Amino acid sequence: MSSVVAFSVLGVDWEFLKPYIVLGLALGGVYALSGTGIVVLYKATGVLNLAFGAVGAAGALIAYWMVNHTSWPHWLAYTACVAFGGVVNLVYGVVFGPVFARRDALVKMMGTLALALILLGLMAWRAPAGGAFVRVLTLPSSTHYYTVFGARVNLTQILALAFAIALTLVTTLFLRYTALGTAYRAIANDREITATLGVPVRRVEASAWLGSGLVCGAAGLLLADLYTSLDYTALTFLVISSLAAALIGRLESLWLTLFGGLLVGFVQSILTPYASVTAYRAATPFVLSIIALLWMGRRRVVVFAPATR
Amino acid sequence: MDAAHAQDRAGRSRLRSINRPLIARVLVIAGLLAVALFVFPSTLGADWINTFTSVAIYSTVAAGLVVLYGRVGMISLGQIAILAIGTWIATRLSFETNLPFPVLLLVTGAITCVIGVLIGLPALRLSGLYLALITLMAAGAVNVVLAQIQFPNGGGGFTARTDNPSLSGLKAVPRPSAAAGDNAYYRYTVIVCGLMFLLAVVHFASKPGRAWAAIRESEPAALAAGVNLTLYKLWAFALASFMTGVAGCLLAAQVGTPNTYNFPTQDSLSLIATALIGGIFTLWGAIVAGVFMQLLPFLFQAQWTVNPNFLLVVFGCGLLQVLLSAPGGLIDQFPKDMANLGRLIARKIPLTRQAAFGIASILALLVGIVLLVTLKSTPIVGIVVVILSPVFASLSQD
Repeated sequence: MSSVVAFSVLGVDWEFLKPYIVLGLALGGVYALSGTGIVVLYKATGVLNLAFGAVGAAGALIAYWMVNHTSWPHWLAYTACVAFGGVVNLVYGVVFGPVFARRDALVKMMGTLALALILLGLMAWRAPAGGAFVRVLTLPSSTHYYTVFGARVNLTQILALAFAIALTLVTTLFLRYTALGTAYRAIANDREITATLGVPVRRVEASAWLGSGLVCGAAGLLLADLYTSLDYTALTFLVISSLAAALIGRLESLWLTLFGGLLVGFVQSILTPYASVTAYRAATPFVLSIIALLWMGRRRVVVFAPATR
Repeated sequence: MDAAHAQDRAGRSRLRSINRPLIARVLVIAGLLAVALFVFPSTLGADWINTFTSVAIYSTVAAGLVVLYGRVGMISLGQIAILAIGTWIATRLSFETNLPFPVLLLVTGAITCVIGVLIGLPALRLSGLYLALITLMAAGAVNVVLAQIQFPNGGGGFTARTDNPSLSGLKAVPRPSAAAGDNAYYRYTVIVCGLMFLLAVVHFASKPGRAWAAIRESEPAALAAGVNLTLYKLWAFALASFMTGVAGCLLAAQVGTPNTYNFPTQDSLSLIATALIGGIFTLWGAIVAGVFMQLLPFLFQAQWTVNPNFLLVVFGCGLLQVLLSAPGGLIDQFPKDMANLGRLIARKIPLTRQAAFGIASILALLVGIVLLVTLKSTPIVGIVVVILSPVFASLSQD
């Protein structure tokens, strides 16, 4: 690793880092994707979904089972994964969304924590991890390789990044120009008044759960592929990396979330070749989240809020 | 003269009315402690005693959450990380020094306390959701670092970790000389944890407790009343971290050579779930949380040969149920629900939809657990019943 000495007088040797940058942006794309799903749901319903990773992981496990233990076509398995995310989120949103609607954001988040625990338990029961048995879910797009800036990337990585950018763009336009998008923004401002104006609040919220659930399933599928092995605990807690993206976007701005996701992937990846920090690069999303949170709270001194109910 | 006499009598009767429940409470606690200290060790096997040691340790960790969330309203999702830090510090110190165990407990508690206050600093600016997230992130970062430096095993340097530990260098964290055996160490742990609970009670009943209650209800009002927000918020983090650090030290000596797999990632979720299920507003709830988190997995796995992972489903459903219909947790809600059930059966109150679903919800949770344990070949039945519990709770609210 003599090439590890990458610091030149003027700073960093970017030529050497190029492959890592490309890989980091691919991973960052998935973080951004999940981050967008989290931010849209948070804006529409006030729920910060911590079960995002668990739902994606469960969907990926179902896809894995369909690919390896049935003779059904593979595209059906991938569709099932995405659909599973949508269905689980929709059911949770329809059953528990309305009863949590007037509660504190913290309580709403705890509810999704419960969903994560339930899914973790079910996954540990049906698909126990550990031992020499490693599940690998490879998407067909991962066998197509291209060389970009000297880095060997596969089609899945390119798709992840493209999908993230496309989703951000489409969601922004959707929120701005469609009736449903306007309803989302209205509910984010004031749920009660929106309901008074005749917007079917519960149905609009259900659509937000469904949409974010589909993104969730897609992100689970992509991450299961990009992370070489399908480890449901790791995937469940990968939600934290996506949270970093959402927090950099202040749980508000989709473009900043995209930037945040790419930043997390980028920083995490370019730390790889440096021997002194490479083992700690997994802490990147946590550190960036902490910085983002501290930045968000920098002006608040006294909290004018009632006790958590 | 008469007035003074009446006042005196009123004062005395007030004293009595305060003291009678207090005496009853002290008697109950003394009775439970006597059972825990003398009956359990003489009647139960070594595996049970080891489990009850863990129950005491995790009850203390949950008690830290009672201080933070139940009393001050500050949520922390990183208490398991603080426990791991406490365990690491205790292990590191025991390699470096030959401190007597009580001193080791105090020093570990003190160092963990400082780290806990540092992690708690953002709480001065953030609250609710954002505080929960920042503690979750801090816990995640601690996990990454711990996974890398591992627990000390006799190597050199700051981390005292080596990949090839020599057998002579590999020594376990020593237990106190008077409590080397499992039974004696169990008693020692129960007494130390009891002291930690007492420390919390003393805080609740004095000035910090009142300040914390004021902060929990309204920060601006507390500030207007002259409560030093900075001091008392950090004090709460200091107390909770001290208790958790001491628990970490007890854990280090319990397992001897701690490892990262003593702290699985989902434990931080299980802890907050069980603490809320048990009851976050009283220390009794913390004991229930310890029992749920440590005794139930032992019963499931070792005694009833049921997959302990089902407990994650139970905890998740219990958490939803508690969030929706029982903010005071089982310790508060269970007696109420049972009394309601009794009244319903005796036809003293009309059967409302709300009451019916509320009771159905808690019964579904209990029946589901029983089904999981009894119908071992078809666990899906129990799981479905358990999952019905939060659905009923949701229906009882709507």
